Amino acid sequence: MEDYKFLFKVVLVGNAGVGKTCLVRRFTQGLFPPGQGATIGVDFMIKTVEVDGEKVKLQIWDTAGQERFRSITQSYYRSAHALILVYDISCQPTFDCLPDWLREIEEYANNKVLRILVGNKTDREDREIPRHIGEDFAQRHGMYFLETSAKEAENVERLFMEIAVELMEQAKCKELPKYDGNLGPINGGVSCRIRFFVYIFLIRKLLQ
Amino acid sequence: MDDDLPTDFQVIVVGTGMVESIVAAACSRIGKNVLHLDSSDHYGGLWASYNFDGLQKFIKEVNADPKRQLQVYNLIEKWYIEKDSPQDEKKEDDENKTDDTKSEPVKKIWSHASFTAEYRKFNIDMTPKLLFSRGPLVELLISSNIARYAEFRCVTRVLTWLNDKLMPVPCSRADVFATEAVSIVEKRMLMKMLTSIVGYNEEEMNNEFKDWNDKTFKEYLSHKGLTPNLIHYVLFAIAGGTNNMPCLEGVKECKKFLMSLGRYGNTPFLWPMYGSGELPQCFCRLCAVFGGVYCLNRPIDKVETKTVDDKMVVTIDSKSKTLNCDHLVIGINECPKNLISPEPAESCDISKAVFITNGSIMPSEKEPLTLLRFPPLTDDDNAVTVLEVGPATGSCPKGLYVVYFITNKVKDAESDLKPYAEKIFDMSGGDQTQTADKPKCLWSLFYNVKDTSAPVASSADAVHVCSGPDAGLDFDRAVEQAEQIFKKICPGEEFLPRAPDPEEIVFEDDVTHGPEFQREEDDADGDAPKE
Ligand SMILES: Nc1nc2c(ncn2[C@@H]2O[C@H](COP(=O)(O)OP(=O)(O)O)[C@@H](O)[C@H]2O)c(=O)[nH]1
Ligand SMILES: [Mg+2]
Repeated sequence: MEDYKFLFKVVLVGNAGVGKTCLVRRFTQGLFPPGQGATIGVDFMIKTVEVDGEKVKLQIWDTAGQERFRSITQSYYRSAHALILVYDISCQPTFDCLPDWLREIEEYANNKVLRILVGNKTDREDREIPRHIGEDFAQRHGMYFLETSAKEAENVERLFMEIAVELMEQAKCKELPKYDGNLGPINGGVSCRIRFFVYIFLIRKLLQ
Repeated sequence: MDDDLPTDFQVIVVGTGMVESIVAAACSRIGKNVLHLDSSDHYGGLWASYNFDGLQKFIKEVNADPKRQLQVYNLIEKWYIEKDSPQDEKKEDDENKTDDTKSEPVKKIWSHASFTAEYRKFNIDMTPKLLFSRGPLVELLISSNIARYAEFRCVTRVLTWLNDKLMPVPCSRADVFATEAVSIVEKRMLMKMLTSIVGYNEEEMNNEFKDWNDKTFKEYLSHKGLTPNLIHYVLFAIAGGTNNMPCLEGVKECKKFLMSLGRYGNTPFLWPMYGSGELPQCFCRLCAVFGGVYCLNRPIDKVETKTVDDKMVVTIDSKSKTLNCDHLVIGINECPKNLISPEPAESCDISKAVFITNGSIMPSEKEPLTLLRFPPLTDDDNAVTVLEVGPATGSCPKGLYVVYFITNKVKDAESDLKPYAEKIFDMSGGDQTQTADKPKCLWSLFYNVKDTSAPVASSADAVHVCSGPDAGLDFDRAVEQAEQIFKKICPGEEFLPRAPDPEEIVFEDDVTHGPEFQREEDDADGDAPKE
């Protein structure tokens, strides 16, 4: 058994270019900017953090670029415990697309998923979305809100830690969407390696 | 937005059905530069699953313009319940109410309105299929590491229709002990026969089956001295056959069943959570992770092949853009006629039905996941495969079951399947709270699908046409075809080698304590995630 007590799946969505991959990389590797192309073949990142003395494993899923032409697979949203919706505070169109994203989230994600709205790139001078506009939007849609800079490592740690803490709390009050085992029998069922021989063996036994 | 779509690729895949998606993943995985398109706004094509809203749209689309959806016809949707729920039931607090442990002694009364309110919780498959626990798809999912994108449930039981009632087919240790339907003597005969079936090997045909090439499986089973009950179990339930099933085909089917026993759960089968439509998406995800570019809502207009410097290139016109590639992989239902040559032979189409019911066909303590195999009820019929899935599979809201029927078409879907449905459902509508021996059918959909599963030859070497879904129980043919196409495009390359585990690139950090948890807005707490 691995030494963590909780495993949570966190997924990121939002327009291409808002900094999702950078946020994940900053948090899991402490890097910025990540070498482009280096993400090939990497599909989620894992980081174990500690909350109240307990180890919590965060499995953080990136979009694999499928958001570029609005073609994220539904299965990406399945079984997510938390969902981070990201826009770029220096790019109005990325904010204007949020309702589209929300529609997709409503449709495919579990409705108990913890939702966080993130305005990224606060280091930039050319802000287009004032903080309170983002805050308002988040509040209206029942989401937490945070502004971050993946570049300056501003609030990134905090974003994921708050998610971990909140999910732990929920897990303790059992409010969390329940998924039994992350991957079901194919990956989980190590125990049954017996084959049809059991069947035949049993019939044989019955006959004795 | 689509305008910055790159135009030059090594491989372009059109259509996101099962075969196309596996090929896309395999090509991308070994470093090919892949573009994957679909003309519709969702993944899966004829292999898709829909929520209730999506399904309604699909039905409307087919009915509005039968010429556009050539593959699906004879589509009939029926409701057996009222438009609105009774007054006192009206407040749909949606999830909160149905999800939790509050025991509901009174059966919920379903209506069009309550289906609509919970539309998201339905995942209804156009091509429901099972995976054999040791079948090629499970092995591929494991060896390629794609299994991590999907979740599976074990099929909990196999049933058959015998002596005019539902009977469990023993296939696990518990079942064998529990079965009284099979006597000790029968068990002895069964065991002997199963042992020889497991010993069957196509290449080195052993003596046992040498002379059975042109006889039926049933003849073989009778020859082995099996009683009628056992013949029924083996022929109809285990091999999924009919009286005319050729012997060696029956032997192969049985062997497959037996070989997959005991790996996971009680039966040889797995069912993908949220439906079979998830599976093509898992392969698409892998393709994207390895750099594949994805674009739904992208119909193609024209495909041309030409030779440039001795090399065949394919050009595709799509939304006034020209895309180029060395290889085009295209689903049969997206494929322009001129690319197919010769025309595939006419084959028998498929009759399908979906039912939504308010209870299991055979209630059990824990939520069952059932494969039921009906023998043909009349001589003209084909065997009928039935899959019943419940809320634990993510297929429907609590309190409901989704039941799929599949058979080879004789007349039309409704005439072919209704007699079978009536055996196990109460299709008369009426009071849903009544307790009866059969679950009530609340909604039904009958339709026929063209069988496009035969391999299709294309008119050019650089074009590879992928077949559509077959009527079979599993995905084996799709996997096999995908591998063949991949081998043609990338000769000598490995088919879906194992993708690295994220664990292999773990960044453990000694964060003993993160920053203190202070919420940005204290009041956001109150109205946090609620529907
Ligand atoms: N100034 C600034 N640039 C950022 C920040 N985060 C990401 N970027 C840049 O934004 C671009 C897109 O980032 P990426 O993570 O690939 O976005 P994604 O498409 O959402 O995954 C890259 O050029 C990054 O260097 C940030 O916090 N500040
Ligand atoms: Mg990215």
